Amino acid sequence: MAAEAAVLRVQDLSRSFGGIQAVDECTFDVRPGVITGLIGPNGAGKTTVFNLITGFLGANHGSIRLQGTEILGLSPHQVERLGVVRTFQHLRLWNKMSVLENVLLGCATPAGENVFGLFLRAGTVRAEEQRARDRAMEVLSLFGLTDRAHELAEDLAYAEQKLLSMARIFATDAPVLLLDEPTSGLDSESLGRIIPMVRRLVDHGKTILLIEHNMELISELADQVVFLHQGRVLAAGPPAEITSDPALTEIYFGV
Amino acid sequence: MTAYLTHFLVMVAIYAILALSLNLLIGYSGIFSLAHAAIYGIGAYASALAALKLGLGFWGGMVVAASVGAFASALVAIPSLRVAGDYYVVASFGLQVVVLAVFMNWTDLTNGLAGLPGIPRPRLFGWVIDQPFEYVFLAAAFALLTWAICWRLTNSAFGRVLQAIRDDEIAAVAMGKNVVLVKIVIACISSALGAMAGSLYAHYITYINPSSFSLHESIFIATLVILGGSERLAGPIVGAFVLLAVPELLKFLAIPDAIAAPMRQIIYGALLIVFMLVRPEGILGRARDGR
Amino acid sequence: MDLFLQLAATGFVVGSLYVLCALGWGLIYGTTLHFHVAHGAVFTLAAYYAYAAQKFLGLPLAIAVLGAIVAAALSGMLIDLLIYQPLERRGAIRTTLFIASLGLLTLIENLLAIIFAPDPLRMDVGRLAEAVQLGPVFLTRLHLLSVATALLGFLALMAFLKYSLWGQAIRAVSSSPEMARTVGIDLRRVHLLTYAVGSAISAPAGILLAMDVGVEPYRGTTFVLLASVAVIMGGIGSIPGALLGALFLALLENLGVWKIPSEWQSSISFGAFLIFIVVRPRGLFGRKIQSAEI
Repeated sequence: MAAEAAVLRVQDLSRSFGGIQAVDECTFDVRPGVITGLIGPNGAGKTTVFNLITGFLGANHGSIRLQGTEILGLSPHQVERLGVVRTFQHLRLWNKMSVLENVLLGCATPAGENVFGLFLRAGTVRAEEQRARDRAMEVLSLFGLTDRAHELAEDLAYAEQKLLSMARIFATDAPVLLLDEPTSGLDSESLGRIIPMVRRLVDHGKTILLIEHNMELISELADQVVFLHQGRVLAAGPPAEITSDPALTEIYFGV
Repeated sequence: MTAYLTHFLVMVAIYAILALSLNLLIGYSGIFSLAHAAIYGIGAYASALAALKLGLGFWGGMVVAASVGAFASALVAIPSLRVAGDYYVVASFGLQVVVLAVFMNWTDLTNGLAGLPGIPRPRLFGWVIDQPFEYVFLAAAFALLTWAICWRLTNSAFGRVLQAIRDDEIAAVAMGKNVVLVKIVIACISSALGAMAGSLYAHYITYINPSSFSLHESIFIATLVILGGSERLAGPIVGAFVLLAVPELLKFLAIPDAIAAPMRQIIYGALLIVFMLVRPEGILGRARDGR
Repeated sequence: MDLFLQLAATGFVVGSLYVLCALGWGLIYGTTLHFHVAHGAVFTLAAYYAYAAQKFLGLPLAIAVLGAIVAAALSGMLIDLLIYQPLERRGAIRTTLFIASLGLLTLIENLLAIIFAPDPLRMDVGRLAEAVQLGPVFLTRLHLLSVATALLGFLALMAFLKYSLWGQAIRAVSSSPEMARTVGIDLRRVHLLTYAVGSAISAPAGILLAMDVGVEPYRGTTFVLLASVAVIMGGIGSIPGALLGALFLALLENLGVWKIPSEWQSSISFGAFLIFIVVRPRGLFGRKIQSAEI
């Protein structure tokens, strides 16, 4: 693992709800070319960390830097514009829209999304739409979803829906991808489709931070692991180190 | 008989514009507004006053109407859409109530309950449009224009964003869409078009008063949209035809006037409930199970 | 000064009605997230139930009122059972539910207008109509009863939510339906209960108003709008917030009349609402409205 400068740097991140400290002075780095996994038992604060990074929640204190720029306090759409995009554990696909449309919404169509541009720059809008469609079909092909392009997102099999949720964020060209439990609810056959896909994202130059619930899968999925418990980072290191630590496994499986 | 028919057609065209414009909000963006009658009224009064007090013609009045309508909408949309959809419903309810109060009480400006008579008919290159069937063409032309604008908006990247917002707003924000801005823009466009319908109405009927722009009217317009189906553009037009037939049906059944008004409301209310239970996507929408 | 005190007193009397309405609507909204505009219909129905019980069944006033409150609670539950729950089972989005609720409000109000005619119907309130003088302020016994009812209702609701098992279940669902389901709470039952309690607590407002100025079919709409504004200003999910929001609105409207012509009364509430959501959208004590759990 190259010791390259961190793309995403989280420092002393804290957030409480009522009396509960959901995230407590978390500090970790996310490096490029390497898959970083956030693991820990239920309620450890993993999704809260995601929500903090992507602007869905405000922090009580701390810092989140993307390539040196502070992104804490920005709204979610501003965070996406700067290059960080996420999937959701409950997918949140646009169910009544087609697979192609779901991906198209990730492609760059600024002229077509601007009301003035829509009516005054018809030629530009048309060309942009065509480019976006071509790009969307490329992305669908990469994820093996070409045959499903015109089906409604809700009609897809669960594994394909998971692929679609990744495809749509991939289409945005954002360099940092946050995957929220990409393997949850999948059988072993489907895992065989998803896990290699996550690895291929790294080959495309993406920086990946993912939440993984399953300790057994973590060695296949991640190169670096951050173990969270009750909002605090207990350990960080390669998966083999973490999974072989008896104290951590005890915490994970409960006493 | 022909006079009756042409009147019916003009009103269908005007209500089609109202329904198409409200559909941009309810059907495409998933935002419910109870203020569309107020916007309709703002358009009517703005255009009428522009003609009566400033001597502007129909065309100038229409521009004034659309601008004032969009502005009023922005005043309410900007604070409330920042927060969540439910706040907008309450804010729109409030706008409806306040605007009606203005129509009824700011008598210096609006003549209160007595209304504004003597609104001039439109002129096109010196030719006055005062024959009923001429007005049918004018109204139909505006309905077509509205349809074209809505079509362009919804069949585009912008339309995709609207649908995404309706389907799952949080996902839209996570994917970088400035949802609040989009909602405010669509609210303003919807109101500009609705106010335009008001302008058409004012210069057609030539006399307006506050009673045409009440909360009941807002519910009626919403019923048109919901009945006709919000997923296809033809829906609001179908809805307009169907619902405008209801009062005629009641007259046909010789229901006394005192009962007719609440009876109409009961039918609209019942239709809303039944449609939500059985076919929320309306008459022309895509069925949930099939395609 | 006398005028000021009179207006303030009226503000508290009207405020007590707003409070009862806001408490009920706010409880329902905070727990189920249903924008239940048909609550205005339940408010109106309560008044008609009381009127009918007194006039057609010849019941004494107190019994008629009690019966009406129970009937209103049942009506609220029926609305959830027959309309909202089936809609939720079909995966309806919140706007769909709101539209059905709006349809129901329209239907019920107008049905009552046809059955009973739209003019106000007077109830026989006996000694409650007698005037009472507190210093320079004139009120009726009914007005004092309204204030007492609102106070009692608020305290009873707070106690119910804090100390009873059912009340705690409601609070659990209100703060997180997901978590409540995980610990085994039956959401449908809690919803039904919420509708019963919410309707029961707002019913007296409709009845008291009817006893004061007569029974009318169309008032529910205005009251439910004011209730929603009060709840938003006080903060969604907060019962004390609803109380304060409702009182604030009532006092603002009634004292506002001192300086602003009375036709503009409704605009005052709306203006206050707009300012509030710009300055503090969360309301006084509320949590931020979340469209869903992320």
